[in-house]
Amino acid sequence: MNKTQIATFSIVSAAALVFLFPFYVAVLMAFKSPKQTFDSFYALPSSISFVNFSQAWNASKYPAAITNSFIITTISVLFIVLVSALAGYSIARRNKPFYNFVFIVFLAGLMVPFQITMLPLYKMGKELDLLNSYWGIALIYGGFGVQIGVLFYVGFIKGISREIEEAARIDGCSTPGIFFRIVIPLLKPVTATVLVLNALYIWNDFLLPLLYLQDKNFRTIPLQQYFFFGQYSSDLNLAFAYAVMGMIPIIAFFLLMQKSIIKGIAAGAIKG
Amino acid sequence: MAHIMRIIRGEMWYVLFLIPGLGLFTLAVLVPLVTGARYSFTNWDGVSKSLHYIGWGNYVRAFADNDLWGALVNTFKYALIITFLVNVISLMLALLLDSYLKFKKTFRTIFFLPGVISIVLSGFIWKYNYAIGFPSLFSLFGIDISSPLGDPNYALFGLIIVAVWQGVGAPMIIYIAGLQGLPSELVESAKMDGANTRQSFFHITLPLIAPAITINMLLVLTGSLKVFDLVYVTTFGGPAFATEVITTFIFRNSFNNFQAGYGTALSMIFFLILVLVTLIQISIFRRREVEL
Repeated sequence: MNKTQIATFSIVSAAALVFLFPFYVAVLMAFKSPKQTFDSFYALPSSISFVNFSQAWNASKYPAAITNSFIITTISVLFIVLVSALAGYSIARRNKPFYNFVFIVFLAGLMVPFQITMLPLYKMGKELDLLNSYWGIALIYGGFGVQIGVLFYVGFIKGISREIEEAARIDGCSTPGIFFRIVIPLLKPVTATVLVLNALYIWNDFLLPLLYLQDKNFRTIPLQQYFFFGQYSSDLNLAFAYAVMGMIPIIAFFLLMQKSIIKGIAAGAIKG
Repeated sequence: MAHIMRIIRGEMWYVLFLIPGLGLFTLAVLVPLVTGARYSFTNWDGVSKSLHYIGWGNYVRAFADNDLWGALVNTFKYALIITFLVNVISLMLALLLDSYLKFKKTFRTIFFLPGVISIVLSGFIWKYNYAIGFPSLFSLFGIDISSPLGDPNYALFGLIIVAVWQGVGAPMIIYIAGLQGLPSELVESAKMDGANTRQSFFHITLPLIAPAITINMLLVLTGSLKVFDLVYVTTFGGPAFATEVITTFIFRNSFNNFQAGYGTALSMIFFLILVLVTLIQISIFRRREVEL
């Protein structure tokens, strides 16, 4: 390595340490007792103890919250992928004013801030019995996600050659046949992108669950954490243990899916 | 007639394909938007069954509401500073990571990592880092500090640091993608013509990654104008309204003060502001972009 490379490496390493510091404090807090924390905030604990974790596990409804988050994220993402792929295919293949108008309506919807729709959504949820149910909140996420989902699918499908589809049509294949048998298998890369980006967003979302999942049994991870932190604000070590527990699934997901996430962000920006 | 039937049959499936997406969109966005617009002309409290139309009353009241202007000033201060800092830092990181560097991918992962945890978590972690972590770190050097979130003069900046920490990952990825798309011949030939690093950065790299700059500016600015979670879980507008942003102001009016009609009028105004900001930004930046 020459001098510039060493300098670059040191700068980036220093920045990385700054970025990791809050995580370090969180993990440190999670493993120490209140007394150890009080004696010396930054000292490593003398022995590794999982007491805080087991206490937090028992005091919170961690397994239930994880299950709720998992079910809601899965149903919502499946909704988004299915309806966006269908609509995206129509828009990409019928380059006509009506379809382009629908496309613009979807994109314009992205600018509507949640604060306008929040109250009517809540009232509608009450009237239509969508509150405190997995399906209710998943339908709303489906409606949010389809806007950006369509953008991804239209861009991707326009890049696929129509020759195979036209050949299949001449052989007598119907439009749904073409879509489900020929087009869907080609959509794997863009589906991976839409899937991971929406999964990240829905898993971490706070405000919609706050409005829609007021029944304790339906709380998702961020919601459960919010109330847990409020309840245990005096026992910080316990709260931090819970914070670390809540981080593990999403960080694992990120590390596993990193490639698709990064590709998706870069691809999304180019289309935007 | 047969001809028309054929067109209908050909078109039918494509229209049917649109229906599930349009249906969900109507349910989640369109109907609530129209209902919200309607509420903004009423004095509805958010709970009772009856509502009265009061015309433009809520809008007239909003323009005279000093708290709204205060919240807007905070929101724009917050969003503009973040847009600047996030773009500068993420572009710098992207430039560093685009050069020859060991463990490039590990570093990229580290800088992106804060962005994947929920804001409830990051807000909580930072709140206590500010309250006990940093003070005990600085006390090692004999410096006395207290949490910025408790001080009206610094609370907004305290939140900005959290948002920057969480927000540089995605723009950095977009900048890296932009830098990788640059034709290396251009930079090489500039070097041969005697341009130094600074000149080639400002005259070649920067103009060529303008599309990435446009999209990042737009995403970060509109994203941070809409900030809600971070303020809600850390300061909830306090201390002394120092961090009250437009979204928490709307939330407070809609749910806590039982002024749903006024709250939705405020959010309609906010919607118009967002549209305006987006249009202005696009028209400014698109003109500066260089076509390759």
